[in-house]
Amino acid sequence: MKRPRLTGLLLCAITVITAGALVAAVALFINRYRTATVQTARTSSAQAVSQVADTVGNYVQQMDDAMALLADAMDEPARQRDDFLEAFLKIRPEIAAVTTYNAEGELLHCWSAGHTPRENIITNLSFDTERMESMGERIVTAPHVATIFEGWYPWVVTMIDRIDAPDGACFVALDLSFSSISKTIANVGIGQHGYCFLLDQQGNLVYHPQQQLIYAGLKSEDTARLAAAENDTFEENGVIYSIQAVEGSPWRVVGVSYVDEQVNRNVAQLAKMSIVIVLAVLAAALLAAALLARIVTRPLQNLAGEMERFEQDADQFTYQEVNGTREVGELSASFGHMVVRIQQLMATVREEEINLRKTELKALQAQINPHFLYNTLDSIAWMCERGKNADAVQMVHALARLFRISISKGHELIPIAREIEHAESYLQIQKYRYKNQFTYHFQVDPACTEYLCNKITLQPIIENAITHGLDLLVDEGHIEVEVLQDGEDILFKVTDNGVGMEPEQVRAIFRREPGDRTGIGIKNVNDRLRIYFGEGYGLTIDSVPDEGTTVTVRMPRVKEGSYETK
Amino acid sequence: MRQSKLAAALLALLMLGGCAAAPAQRHNVAIVAKSTSTEFWAAVFAGAEAAGAEYNLDLSITGPETEEDYETQNAMIAQAVEDGAEALVFSAIDFEANAAAINEAARRGVRIVVIDSGVDSDAVETYIGTDNLAAGRMAAQAALDGTPGRLTVGFVNYDVNSANGQLREQGAREALADSGRAQVAACINTVSEAGAAMQDTLAMLNAHPEINVLIAFNEPTSVGAARALDASGRADAVALVGFDSNVETVDGLQTGLVDALIVQNTYAMGYLGVESAYRLLTGQGGSMLRTVDTATRIITRENMFTIDGQKALFAFE
Repeated sequence: MKRPRLTGLLLCAITVITAGALVAAVALFINRYRTATVQTARTSSAQAVSQVADTVGNYVQQMDDAMALLADAMDEPARQRDDFLEAFLKIRPEIAAVTTYNAEGELLHCWSAGHTPRENIITNLSFDTERMESMGERIVTAPHVATIFEGWYPWVVTMIDRIDAPDGACFVALDLSFSSISKTIANVGIGQHGYCFLLDQQGNLVYHPQQQLIYAGLKSEDTARLAAAENDTFEENGVIYSIQAVEGSPWRVVGVSYVDEQVNRNVAQLAKMSIVIVLAVLAAALLAAALLARIVTRPLQNLAGEMERFEQDADQFTYQEVNGTREVGELSASFGHMVVRIQQLMATVREEEINLRKTELKALQAQINPHFLYNTLDSIAWMCERGKNADAVQMVHALARLFRISISKGHELIPIAREIEHAESYLQIQKYRYKNQFTYHFQVDPACTEYLCNKITLQPIIENAITHGLDLLVDEGHIEVEVLQDGEDILFKVTDNGVGMEPEQVRAIFRREPGDRTGIGIKNVNDRLRIYFGEGYGLTIDSVPDEGTTVTVRMPRVKEGSYETK
Repeated sequence: MRQSKLAAALLALLMLGGCAAAPAQRHNVAIVAKSTSTEFWAAVFAGAEAAGAEYNLDLSITGPETEEDYETQNAMIAQAVEDGAEALVFSAIDFEANAAAINEAARRGVRIVVIDSGVDSDAVETYIGTDNLAAGRMAAQAALDGTPGRLTVGFVNYDVNSANGQLREQGAREALADSGRAQVAACINTVSEAGAAMQDTLAMLNAHPEINVLIAFNEPTSVGAARALDASGRADAVALVGFDSNVETVDGLQTGLVDALIVQNTYAMGYLGVESAYRLLTGQGGSMLRTVDTATRIITRENMFTIDGQKALFAFE
């Protein structure tokens, strides 16, 4: 799984936190605002309805006064009464008709501007004879059509009062059309689509701005419930109803307004504004976060890159300071110090290791295999006894040469010529000791002899060839020592025609620790070469069982003085 | 790369927030009626104007002088299209002769709503009005209910090319035939104007004195038939079933001159016609019905002054 980047984490965190906080704040704010607006809408609805109720109340009061005037007028003589009514109907065009009835409910008189009642009235919805008995002082009917005129059927509400007129009239009825009230009510708007209407106690619509729509069955109002409700303002399914009874009449004003349009429009506007602000803030936060992340993570990434380079190549690494915030700067400086320190430590460790190995090898080189020495001295003694003095002298010379070169004043590197001399001395001695069981031959490129090599490089290889290759051989053995150049390198090749080795034996040779039969094993030769000249130099062994073994030593061309500076 | 992605996301967010609501646009709706003179059409127009006000529409109302003048109607359709009408609320005088003008208007992108009387065009998206076949049956039923014994019926119909009149007549014929005690003695197609209808009805009554039931199929023919009965003095002997509400026929209903009126919901036709036009123009026409049946009532002397009868007969102004 890939770990998230710091930049991503930072951006996510800031986005989530900022957005969450803003959304919560806006939601809370809008909620509070909505509640407040609903309250305001209810209040304004109630106020509008209350005003309409006052206006209608005033109008009802005027009608009460008019009824009182009419009752008075009925006491006047016929002539003055008719004049009064003519004038009265002129100044009150919304009054469709004034009628009087006797105790039996028969129509006595009818006054109406421009209309006369039909001769034979079939139905009179303005005066209900049956209700007459039960009526008190005042009846206000539900809306109905005035039916006593020919070809004129206006919608009216009838107000009926008891009177006691000299002409026997017991009731006066006033048919009121809605033109005055309608203006009052129709022009009242609550919000954009809100409206008021007038209802009577039975739930009949007295006046509604959309009365004809309701009569045509296209709209409806829940009038029965509203007629039963108290004076109140309440919200229901997003609609605010406000109910107010009209003083001195059986009517009530109902205001209907919509929460949605009054509240939601504002809220929607507010929400839109909030969203813009939220987005702006969010954008700013994101930008800041991105910038911050850039400031923090870019140097860190650079630092990480530097560390990776250091990890891959600690030796050659040179540290470039990474710029950034102070924290990163400190981190960078620390890392710089650490790099220098690690490189110092690495150098020290390597040096110490080489010194250790050198010391170890020198100690080994200094050791003279006592068996070799005893055996050689035994051989020399034996030669002397036999009077082979010339041979004994040669042996002693060879032995002396061997030790002289072995010591070489403590130098590790000696000219190749000396090394060959050393190898030859060793072979001379061994040839005596092995009674000429083998022959040997040197083939040396003269150009190589002036270069340096590790001392005692060839001897262990030759010793190995004799003891493991030739000693067991029945036929005469042969050792061929070659020194040649190979490009920039110098090669020593020691080839024997001995029994050879299995690959497993070859591998064992490279593992063998010193302290066996000779002072320095093949492994040590290899290790020494590597320590002095590095990987890529050292020994390779090619061996074929029953055919022989070739050991190749590869080392660089090193001249006098050049190695020590390396 | 990362930066540009971030910038794009921010830009998208800001644009989302900055989206402004499209401004509301007043739609232009034209009504081409059969006539402008009858109470029937006055009520239709009142309904249309109520809807026009409610939906904030530019409303134009036109109609020829007489209900036979389909050529003027065609010219009015063309003129309305010329004047930029986006939707047409139309009532056809002639089922076939008005079709070409309507198709042409539809071809120019005008949405077509038909009220009251249909036209032979596929461009019509909805019909709003009376189920005329059923209304015809109602008229016949009212006549059958009001008259015991055998019925000898005279039809006073208007233009023979008018779809709604023909459907009503067909419905009436079916219902009368179903009753088994009625026969249609005569049928006239008169001009849809009270005076002419009265003359033609008088002629029919004279030619067929056996007629004891008259059925008139729209407002002017009903008024004409009522006048003819009044003039002939045979109001008691002949029952009259008419259509729609006119003060003369309503008066006649009270006096006994008229026995029943089939009253259509004219206000609703106007209102719903314009409302449908608005819905078509604002992309809410998806669920629109092909046919909207506005309610029709039988009004007799008995129920004319019930509250529902009053509501059906008399417009509230």
